[in-house]
Amino acid sequence: MKKPGTIFLLLAAAVVFSFPVTGINSLTGGSVVFAQEAWKGEFEAICSKTQDAMTFSPEELKDLITRCDNLKPAIEKLDETQRKVYLKRLQLCRELFVFVLGSKENR
Amino acid sequence: MKRTLIIMFFVLIAAAVAFAQTGVKKKRPLPYDYGKVVINNYSEKAGLAPVVFNHWLHRAKFTCRLCHVDVGFAMKAGTTGIKASDNISGYYCGSCHNGKPDAEGNKVFESCSKTVPPDEKNRCQRCHSLGKNVKPAYDFGAFTERFPKGRFGNGIDWEKTEAEGLVKPVDFLEGVSIKRQAITAQKDFALSPKLEGMPDIIFSHKKHTVWNGCELCHPEIFVGVKKGSTKYSMIEIFDGKYCGVCHTSVAFPLTDCQRCHTKSVQ
Repeated sequence: MKKPGTIFLLLAAAVVFSFPVTGINSLTGGSVVFAQEAWKGEFEAICSKTQDAMTFSPEELKDLITRCDNLKPAIEKLDETQRKVYLKRLQLCRELFVFVLGSKENR
Repeated sequence: MKRTLIIMFFVLIAAAVAFAQTGVKKKRPLPYDYGKVVINNYSEKAGLAPVVFNHWLHRAKFTCRLCHVDVGFAMKAGTTGIKASDNISGYYCGSCHNGKPDAEGNKVFESCSKTVPPDEKNRCQRCHSLGKNVKPAYDFGAFTERFPKGRFGNGIDWEKTEAEGLVKPVDFLEGVSIKRQAITAQKDFALSPKLEGMPDIIFSHKKHTVWNGCELCHPEIFVGVKKGSTKYSMIEIFDGKYCGVCHTSVAFPLTDCQRCHTKSVQ
């Protein structure tokens, strides 16, 4: 039988190592920390939604814009080429969401 | 009276000279030159000829969206700042030009590399070709022979060519593009021209999204969120803004008035 201290350590380790991949606001004071390459999964998850942008509610669009903003620092840390390509791509996604949000709010 | 006429004549000549700017009428490009882009951010500094990029060949194979959104090429020539190292890393031109087979199984020549094998010593010139007598791998006439003809630009009706299935522009590049659902095209709409008597412009979202998706045009080119909120004139469009971003450089040119100013969707 494992000691309670070992179980606590295992649980603590699970908490610490599982969150940075998806990001957790409470642990990082509002900013999102992405594990290496996890940024790409988040980038794809966000930018795969541009085709359906018109179907989202203003709240969903605002959430996507926030996710873009949270992802930007992770992309800024990439090497020069990747940074140039993916910042541009992220900017296109973000601006589309802002555009659609604006059009919905102006209706 | 005679004196007044002479003065008026000289005033007119002076005004014409003053406002003529360059005074040279823009020469209409030849069909195979329409959409040609010369890229020279770093080429000459590196001792190479500037790159000549032909839109006609690439647009026959890929959508505008794939290159200008997924691959990341800017919409304005020369503003992407492509470096050989970017291509070597598999970005920009190197996304496709990587020496691997394409979707049709044809090997796509490598764009840039640190070393060039002796049997490929002319490879650089396939792109770095400005001012060089390079025989292109694709001949414009032969390649476009079966395509429906257009009056201006490349002399090809690209819209019809795509609709008839003569070209099937690829919109997904493995490892670069993101898998997404098919786009839900927004409604077509009419725009009333400022000039009385001109037919309405029918804008087809469906026809544009085939090539462009959403984020290529919004909001970078068309920023207004409410229909009619952005007022633009033909002067601005001819100046390369709004519709003119594409329709002065790659898509059918603005001289083809009836393709936009039509009451029925074209």
